[in-house]
Formats: sequence, C-alpha cells, structure tokens
Amino acid sequence: MKALYKIALLVTAFAGLTSCHDNSAPNYQYFPNMYESVGYETYSESASFANGKEGQLPAKGSIPRGFTPYEYENSTAGYDLAKANLKSPLAPEEVDEAKGQQLFTIYCAICHGDKGDGKGNLSKREKFAGVPNYKDRVITEGSIFHVVTYGLNMMGSHANQLSQEERWQVAHYVMKLKSEL
Amino acid sequence: MSSHYEAPIRKPLIIGDKNYHDVTVDVARPVEGRANKQWWIAFAIALAAFLWGVACVAYTVGTGIGTWGSNKTVGWAWDITNFVWWVGIGHAGTLISAVLLLFRQKWRMAINRSAEAMTIFSVIQAAMFPVFHMGRPWLAYWVMPIPNQFGSLWVNFNSPLLWDVFAISTYLSVSLVFWWTGLLPDFAMLRDRAITPFTKQVYGILSFGWSGRAKDWQRFEEVSLVLAGLATPLVLSVHTIVSFDFATSVIPGWHTTILPPYFVAGAIFSGFAMVNTLLIIMRKLSNLEAYITVQHIELMNIVIMITGSIVGVAYITELFIAWYSGVEYEQYAFINRATGPYWWSYWLMMTCNVISPQVMWFKKIRTSIMVSFIISIVVNIGMWFERFVIIVTSLHRDYLPSSWTMFQPTFVDAGFYIGTIGFFFVLFLLYSRSFPVIAQAEVKSIMKTSSEKYKKLHEAHDNHSHSEHNHH
Repeated sequence: MKALYKIALLVTAFAGLTSCHDNSAPNYQYFPNMYESVGYETYSESASFANGKEGQLPAKGSIPRGFTPYEYENSTAGYDLAKANLKSPLAPEEVDEAKGQQLFTIYCAICHGDKGDGKGNLSKREKFAGVPNYKDRVITEGSIFHVVTYGLNMMGSHANQLSQEERWQVAHYVMKLKSEL
Repeated sequence: MSSHYEAPIRKPLIIGDKNYHDVTVDVARPVEGRANKQWWIAFAIALAAFLWGVACVAYTVGTGIGTWGSNKTVGWAWDITNFVWWVGIGHAGTLISAVLLLFRQKWRMAINRSAEAMTIFSVIQAAMFPVFHMGRPWLAYWVMPIPNQFGSLWVNFNSPLLWDVFAISTYLSVSLVFWWTGLLPDFAMLRDRAITPFTKQVYGILSFGWSGRAKDWQRFEEVSLVLAGLATPLVLSVHTIVSFDFATSVIPGWHTTILPPYFVAGAIFSGFAMVNTLLIIMRKLSNLEAYITVQHIELMNIVIMITGSIVGVAYITELFIAWYSGVEYEQYAFINRATGPYWWSYWLMMTCNVISPQVMWFKKIRTSIMVSFIISIVVNIGMWFERFVIIVTSLHRDYLPSSWTMFQPTFVDAGFYIGTIGFFFVLFLLYSRSFPVIAQAEVKSIMKTSSEKYKKLHEAHDNHSHSEHNHH
C-alpha cells in the first residue's frame, strides 16, 4: 500500500511537471539561444518595413539577372499579337514532355482535366462551369504562354507559380494535348 | 608491552602525557566549544571574498566570458590556471590518506583528516572553473553522455576535457566517501559526548549509527585499505588527465610526454605546501600541537623537498629536450619563457619551486615552523605561476607570429580566483569548528606505540628487563 502511494505521488509529480505544455501554444524552451533568427527570414514579419513584411517589392523596371521581361501587354491586342507572333524559345531538344506533363498535372489539370478536355475535378464537381475544351479553341504556343502569364477571364496569372521556361514547357505540352483531342 | 618492538630511533608522534581520554577531549574541544572572535573575523573575511567571487561569477555568466582577460589567442588563462592549481592542491589530501596508508606511515594519522577535507574543499573550488569558464555554462550537462532527443547525440570520448569531467567527479566522490568513512567513528565519539539534544541528533545522523563493534572495525579497516588502494591510482590519474589537457595538444610548450608525472609531482608539492600552511595555523589555534608535531611538519617538508626536486628535474628535462629536439618552435617556447615578456613569471616560478624547497635540506630550516610556513606559501605561489607559465606563455606565442599577443587579466579574473579562495576558507573554517579535525580513532591506535608517554614506558621497561633476564 505504501508503495502504491509512492507510485501515485511519482505519477502526480510527473504529470504536474509535464502537463504545463499547452497544445494551442508553442511549448516552453530552455535557453533559446539561437532559436530566433537575427537576420531577416523570408516571409517573416518585421517592424523595420513600412508594411511589416520582409518580402519587399523590387524597384519598378529593374531586371534581375537571368530574366527576360515579357514584352506583350496584358490586353486583347497583346493577346492577338502574342498569338500571331510569339514563338517558343525552346529548341526541339529542350522540350521536355515529361516535365510539361508534371507541371500541367499540378497547375492546370484541376480545371482543364488531364487530357485538356475541360473536364478537371473542379469542373466535374461543378464548382464552376465554362472550362473550355482545347479542341474547341484556336490556340498557339504563343497564346498559351500569354494566357498562362497574364490569365484570361476566369483564369488567373500563373507567372508566380511557373518560371518562363516552365511556362514554355507547359505550352508545348498543351499543344501536344490539343493535337491528341 | 615489552613484546612490542619499535625502533628506538623513532620519535614520538604524540607529545606529552596523553591518554585515550585526552585525545578525545583535545579533538572534541574545538567542536564543543564556541568560536572565538578571531574565528569570526577570519570567517567574515572569507565569506566576503566568497561573496565577491559569487558576484564576479554572476557577472561573467550574465555578461559573458569577454569580461575576462582571455583573448582569441590566449583562450585559457586564469580560469584553467586556477583549476589546475586547485586540483593540484587537492592531491596532497589523497596522498596523505591513501598513499601514506599503503606505506603504513603512522604520522599520517594526525593530519589525514584535515588533508582530506582540504582535498574535498579544493576540488570543489577546482570544479567551478571548468563550468564557469564555459561560454554557455547552462549547457554544461551536455558533457554527460545522457540519452537524449537529438537522435541520442553523444559526447566525443577523445577529449581530455571530457576525461577531466570523469576524473574530477570520480575523484571528488571517492574522496568524499573515503573521508566520510573515516569520520564515522569520530562522529560517533562526538555523538556520544554531545550534551545538547540538537548536537546529539546532528552527530547521530552524521555517524550513521556507528557502534564500534569488532566486526565493524574489521570491515572498516578493509574498506579503508581498499579505498586507499583505489584512491592511489585515482590520485595519479586525475592529475595525469588534467595534464593531458595540455600534453595531448599540438602547442609547443604543451606537447610534452613528461607532463603527466611532472604535473602529479607538482600537485603533491603544492598540496603538501597547502596542508603545511593550514596545519601550522590549525595546530596553534585548535591547540593540537601535541598531535601535529614539529616532526609532522618536518616530514611534510621532506615530501615538499622531494617533490620539489622532482619538479626541478622536470624543468631541467623540459629545457634539455627543447634544446635536444631541434624543433625551433619548442626551443623558442622555452626561450620565450625565460626571456619573453613573461620572464618574471617564469623566474618567479623557478625561484619558488626549484630553489625554495632546496632549503629543506637543512634540518634547522625544515624543523622551523616559521620558515616552513613561509616556504609553504611561497611554494603555492610558485605552483600557481607554474600553471600560469605553462598555459599563458605557450599560448601567447606559438606557430604564427601574426597570432602573437599578450594576456592581461581583468578584475573579474581575479575576483573569481579570490572568490574560490574565500569559499575554500569558508568551508575549511566551518569544517574546523564542526568536524573532528584529527582522526582520533586512528591516533588512539598508535597511542601505545608512538606516544611520548608510552615510548618512555617502553624504554624504562626494556632497560629494566635487560638487566633482569637479558632476553625474552
């Protein structure tokens, strides 16, 4: 019986010592010497910036190394020009169908469907209507690149998600899908 | 009585007409009496020094190691100097209680208790330096190989600093057990003499119910002998491991195979000097002159002389090998010691450690309590400088001349050191008023062979029996 009391006491003490951690808050730390960053971490918040965000916009008109600005403007006229004149900078051996497929599956297929027939999951579940079949549209690699870059009607810009090179891979893949429909 | 043979050449270890009861009374007197004014003054000074040290350590830990004079080149200076110095001082205690027990030295009995107390108190001081010289002492527990949540991240067993952890902690715990085992019969004596219920209670707890039966004594002796046998290799290995902190490095002036025995010899040297300092004061203040006799002091002086000579030989060996090695860095390290910017510390060390113990060859000097006292302090100054010289002069100038620098201690360096001296004396002063400072049980065991009174009786009896029957 005495041993039982001792065990109970130990369990209580252990529970008392370990139950202070609140799951809805970060746990206690022992001497957090280098836990918090001294430098500005990406996406962190900081009072040093006017809007409190670490991610500040670059100066307008500046061009980072390895980036080519897109010359066609975001308008119907720009769309038509791109459709007519814009050609893929990728040489035939640079076109990577597997990569294009992967990117298409991640970013496009949810609406456009794996085959590009406009029967993506969101369309099938009727979250929204009006996703066209590539078969029914006149598209060129230039117009695809333009639309992926700026977006069109319901579709938003994907320039944030996909680099220029990736957008061209997707454009090539879309053209391939269209040819199979 | 006449069946006992002891060479008449041996001088008595207990002076005066003492019987068993006198020993008890003499040992118990400082514990049972009240502290006098001098004790309180000494205690107040020691406590003030200790508190000042606490403040300095708090400042260091709170602000950082940069409050010390150490720099990027001289990363170890007073911290490790003081650490090695205190560990070294501690060694005499174990040597007296263990090695001299193995060699059946009866003279150790009057001094072993205080020597062991000194060991324990100085190892406590020493142990503070490895912790507080850390940049992050709050993570000191990481030196222990404890299973953990970092994928069970382990310590590297190749570092002598880790061996230090094991050496010092083992040394402290074994010394403590050895000391306490020996204290049991003496605490029991104080318990049995206690007048107030409080002291009876205290010494009753401290003495672990010692009742002094034959079986207890038999086992007590065995345990003492086993512990002495364990403590002897321990005492040699502890300071060897401490010396490995330097000897295993690649620094010219540190990388020497002579360091382990030389450090141990230095430890015994400085430790005995400290025992001498303390006991010369203690025998006077606690009226223990009948037990801690001039012969004890003389024998300690002889040990100091021998170990001092060993240290001297080591110094000469180092110099010879530096010259003989043909390694310019090694040669420069010693030229720098003798003629560099810290020449004064080197020559102070040489004077204190090599010359001062040599005066003990003269009987007149080694039997003089006053001179012994002075020399014992000189030796401890010298041994402090030995560690300082080894550490700082080897570091401040080594391979790259572009890294050459100087070391300048700050008041915090000094404050920590003063604090440990204060803490040591706080502990020692408290000890001297609450513990039986002489192992009375052991002293009583040599009463009939080595006390002045019985020696006279033997002599008278022997002369008598010679005339009567010539032999037995």
